Amino acid sequence: MNRQPRALLSVLLLGLIAFTGWRWWSGQQPPADSGTEIVFSDVTTRGGVLTSSLRSEPRSFNRWVERNFPTEFTSQLTQSTLIRINRATQEIEPALAESWIASPDNRTFTLTLREAAWSDGAPFTSADVLFTFQAIYDPKVNSILAGSLKVNGQPLTVTAPDARTVVIGYPGVFGPGIALLDNLTLAPKHKLEAALAAGTFSQAWGVASPVNEMVSLGPFVLSRYEPGQRLVFDRNPRYWKKDSAGVALPYLDQIVAEVVPDQNAELVRLQAGQIDMLQQQVRPEDIATLRPLVDQGKLQLLELGVGTDPDVFFFNLRQPYWAKDPRGGWITRREFRQAISHAVDRESFANTVYLGAGVPIWGPITPGNQKWFSPNVPRYAFSLERAKALLAGLGLANRDADEWLEDDKGTEARFTVLTYRGNSSLERSAAVLRDDLRPLGIAVDVVALEQGALVERMLKGDFESIFFVYSASALDPGMSPDLWLSSGSAHIWNIGQATPATEWEKQIDDLMRQMMSSVDQAERKRLFDQVQNIFAENLPALYFVAPRMYIGVSSRVGSLTPAILRPQLLWAADRITVRSPGTGQGGR
Amino acid sequence: MGRYLLRRLGFALLLVLVVSSASLLLTRLAPGDITSEQALVLDPASLAKLRTELGLDRPLAVQYASWLAGVVRLDFGRSLLYSRPVSTLIGERALNTAMLASVALVLATVIGLPLGVYSGSRSRGVGRASVRVLSVLALSVPPLIGSLGLVFLAARTGWLPVGGMTSAAGIDQTWAQWLVDLARHLPIPALALALPLAATLERLQSQAIEKATREPFVAASRARGLGHAQALIRHAWPVSLRSVLGLYGIMIGSLFSGSFVVEVITSWPGLGRLMYDALKARDLYLVAGCAASGAFFLAAGTWLADVLLAFADPRVRSQEAR
Repeated sequence: MNRQPRALLSVLLLGLIAFTGWRWWSGQQPPADSGTEIVFSDVTTRGGVLTSSLRSEPRSFNRWVERNFPTEFTSQLTQSTLIRINRATQEIEPALAESWIASPDNRTFTLTLREAAWSDGAPFTSADVLFTFQAIYDPKVNSILAGSLKVNGQPLTVTAPDARTVVIGYPGVFGPGIALLDNLTLAPKHKLEAALAAGTFSQAWGVASPVNEMVSLGPFVLSRYEPGQRLVFDRNPRYWKKDSAGVALPYLDQIVAEVVPDQNAELVRLQAGQIDMLQQQVRPEDIATLRPLVDQGKLQLLELGVGTDPDVFFFNLRQPYWAKDPRGGWITRREFRQAISHAVDRESFANTVYLGAGVPIWGPITPGNQKWFSPNVPRYAFSLERAKALLAGLGLANRDADEWLEDDKGTEARFTVLTYRGNSSLERSAAVLRDDLRPLGIAVDVVALEQGALVERMLKGDFESIFFVYSASALDPGMSPDLWLSSGSAHIWNIGQATPATEWEKQIDDLMRQMMSSVDQAERKRLFDQVQNIFAENLPALYFVAPRMYIGVSSRVGSLTPAILRPQLLWAADRITVRSPGTGQGGR
Repeated sequence: MGRYLLRRLGFALLLVLVVSSASLLLTRLAPGDITSEQALVLDPASLAKLRTELGLDRPLAVQYASWLAGVVRLDFGRSLLYSRPVSTLIGERALNTAMLASVALVLATVIGLPLGVYSGSRSRGVGRASVRVLSVLALSVPPLIGSLGLVFLAARTGWLPVGGMTSAAGIDQTWAQWLVDLARHLPIPALALALPLAATLERLQSQAIEKATREPFVAASRARGLGHAQALIRHAWPVSLRSVLGLYGIMIGSLFSGSFVVEVITSWPGLGRLMYDALKARDLYLVAGCAASGAFFLAAGTWLADVLLAFADPRVRSQEAR
């Protein structure tokens, strides 16, 4: 026998062994326990351990200077605020301020604090509130919360007539009112006063700090941090909140956040029952993978609604950038952007990028933001004819034998789109845009960059166009002036203008200032609807599809209140319950 | 031998310096820095203040000179990402990586070398063909897919934990329990690292032994009456190790400097993951520190391989003696 048949025989033999092994293994698997439907009311028991995943590690536990999700996540579990915006209803709720009174001119709020204590037993008083404001506004601290706790660029004034009363004065009438305090994570004066005095507040509560230094006002205390592996949060026995039956919250004994950097591995661990929930939404392509477990009653796939931070495509609208570029005459024109909007088939876009789990949108406010979404903004129906007519109006026509349009000077209709490398939805979106514009005769070059490089180019204004995701910190647009105002640092298409570069940006500035200084909710909505209309007419940024968001969670987890903003489930961690076994480590 | 070792040490120090310097300079020169993420949250003045605090506003030459001055004192600076000394962070993670790398190295060796000797010493047969097919399979599967496959297998069977280094109960366990827990977490990442290396070793060993068996001194030993197995082990194998051990140094270096793919997929808190996080965040001091440790392990691995080779092959010893 020569070598070739022997090698073939070996492959066949190996294949046979593998197939037999697979059949044996499949036979070993327990049958699906059908019919075990979990009813939330059956699982509302006290105690137990919930295991969640976390894609990255905290860089610091100091919420006042660090803005990344793991830090916010830790703060959400261990800290508290005076009031909070209910992430599900979007309504303001009392937290450590049990009540408040607004002055007739809506510029002063008098808050009554509830009796509460830090996890080490120290009482929570108005001195902590004063200290928190002092730390946030201290220039040496360089707090990331300082900007969001200012009105018209001015800090709030805070006084404390007694230990349970705080009076907060606004420099002007501010539409979102007391909702602003949802950003105010309270700091323990007795623990951090010395650091503030020494000018080392920003280094306090670093990842190397002993965990018992980090006292808590929230439902849990950080009891252990194992770098690269996990964070463990134990129930805070001094947490102030009780349920309607008077039972002290939280219900859970412990939350373990396992650091799982890879999304695929995270999904496998959820499937294996080694974690109970994810902190990221499930990717559209993973939904089919999880469906069998949902059918078997082992997993819940919760639809959170339509995402509120859709991917955005925008051109560089800084005129100096295009001054010497022959394309500047048409690429910055509104009609060019309108033509692009007409050329994109949003239904097909949703199918390709989000596998159907997306809804067409025509502006930055999606149907997921129920309070502020306007269904009446101008829409750009898919029409290549309309798009071609708009481009012809700009003088773009095919003047040679190739497939691309040219202007009257012969410059090709071509531009470059920068996007994030590794963000699959953005990379797919940019590719779809390129393919959709090709029939129009517009050539698009897609360049995927690493995140830091992309942001650097954006800040310097060194780009032609960008496909990007911008996450607003709040659903109320009045709390995102940096995006809407022409002077804003997040006015991404033309950042930080000294004076509005265009008439329509001036109109938006005026309307937004009126909206931010009005306390009449109906009036604020009316004004913001106008802003959305102007935005949709001028299209400084183009929005195509907002994804529907899903999150996967084990069926043993109950009493969930899903919300669209992160952390979608653990924002109400104090009410979550789990069915036994006591930890999330049990396999399925 | 002493001069030889000193020469290798000098080379190792130079390698560490060049690699870490290049990493620092390239990370610094690439567009964007660690503050880019905050750029849309902070106003320009606060952003500038943050960059000043982190020393990112200094000219490149000043920044490099100050870092180099620290390196001379074995101070690799403070991580911009974690606000902790780079050497402490690397020390913590290097231990984890070393555990994983040692197990993977042993596995790769005990799987790869015997299979290589077996397949190289046979001219035909189903066994030889099967080993070759398996090796080619293991070599052609990218580490990402291999790791995910093993993680999936662990999840599907429930025999082993899917990821991490220890379980959440780890800190409350006795030493013995902790070791058992660690031993349960090791196989998946260790196999993910070891299988492609075992396949590489098998291929290399197979070719080397095939060549060595054709050497005249092996034929002479057979003529003196030694059996096939004895001639193979006593004469052909030590000689064949020369090319295998050459690769060993590089293998040790790459294993001990951490594989970010395997460590990310299996959530192993090692150096590879630290380097990955540092690169993503543009933490230039941490990137330089991780690169320095990688270069150090590579140099150490090569040195170790040279020493082993000197022991294994008498011809090398005699060359060094001359």
